[in-house]
Amino acid sequence: MAIDVEAYYRRYGPQVLRRCRFLLRDEEKAVDAMHDVFVQLLRHREDLTHSAPSSLLHQIATRECLNRLRGARRRPEDPQDELVLRIASSEDAGARTEARGLLDRLFGRVPTSSRDIAVLHLVDGMTLEETAREVGLSVSGVRKRLRTLSTVLKELEAA
Amino acid sequence: MTSPHRTPDWLLERIALGELPADELAAARARLTQEPEGEARLAALEAENRSLLEKLPPSVVAREVERRARRSEVRSYEASPWHRWRPALALVPVLAVLLLVVARPGTRPGELEGESAEETRTKGLPPQLGLYRLAAQGPEALAQGAQASEGDVVQVSYVAAGARFGVVFSVDGRGTVTLHAPEGGLDAMPLEPSGTHALPQAYALDDAPSFERFFFVTSDDPFSLEEVLASARVLATSDGARTALLPLAERFRQVSFTLEKSSP
Repeated sequence: MAIDVEAYYRRYGPQVLRRCRFLLRDEEKAVDAMHDVFVQLLRHREDLTHSAPSSLLHQIATRECLNRLRGARRRPEDPQDELVLRIASSEDAGARTEARGLLDRLFGRVPTSSRDIAVLHLVDGMTLEETAREVGLSVSGVRKRLRTLSTVLKELEAA
Repeated sequence: MTSPHRTPDWLLERIALGELPADELAAARARLTQEPEGEARLAALEAENRSLLEKLPPSVVAREVERRARRSEVRSYEASPWHRWRPALALVPVLAVLLLVVARPGTRPGELEGESAEETRTKGLPPQLGLYRLAAQGPEALAQGAQASEGDVVQVSYVAAGARFGVVFSVDGRGTVTLHAPEGGLDAMPLEPSGTHALPQAYALDDAPSFERFFFVTSDDPFSLEEVLASARVLATSDGARTALLPLAERFRQVSFTLEKSSP
């Protein structure tokens, strides 16, 4: 399926940029990451049967930014930022393949990154049910994935 | 953490885009009107959208995205360790199949003991799965039941043997189902009816214990991935995950290929 990048950006670009800004806290990096989110969208154009791309782009942007933050050495600006950085740098047992996009994780067919789930639930404030629906897993599946980031969660509980 | 009384940013974005089921959208809008700053936040977000699109015009962004996409395609193709081996890779299973057909009807790659009866096709050849591990010298063909380890990079290829649609996925000792091809979407991929075809992506084995079992499920008619993957998810968490066949309708053919893994 051919996709009109310009039309997608016109509709979803601001949302994606805000997401990248929120996670990266740097305008230049956020703009760069936003471009790459749309590159991923273009690369997986065949899969764009999704009726609500905003959810998908939110996840792609989250993944893109977490990958950029992994190993980042910057000072967190607030507790939420600190949590994002901790999640980004944690070991992710859910990331199983190299260079695979998020699209193949739709509808729970394959494991969603535990780090993505952690951000949706812990940082974005989605309930377990909302998170589960967002990534196409069961609530128990989401709980299981969150347990893979037990270090982050333990620290969170101890805080 | 986000206050439970404040519409979270992700939900505000969906409200602005109207991308929620109708009843949820109505509820979210109602919730927003209850918030002291709710309507103002939505108006600010919509104003910011206009300002961002002026600052980063769609035509400019689209050109840059397309430029990056082209560059990334070239780079990933050339950087793939399989790139230089692909032509050779395509010959290996075909030769193996020819030998099997000519020499003896033994266990084929991807075929379980006792599975041949349900896999007979009019063409005399069932669909095949081939697995190769990337080694320093090039691709190493793996046999059914070969030992593999976390970090091994495996390339999967298939021979459709005339079948027209298919899906390749794996289940592991942790009960997880991983889709390999197609890489997404809702429907089975159209297969190249003849020859051996490597999947576009190699796969790095993770730390799942015990085994990784690859399945190639085919049909002569289009099918939705869910028809097969729903069964796979059930099988993956059952005692039969390592050896049992998927309980599928008669129109499907399946073949599997198991790699043994030592527990960490």
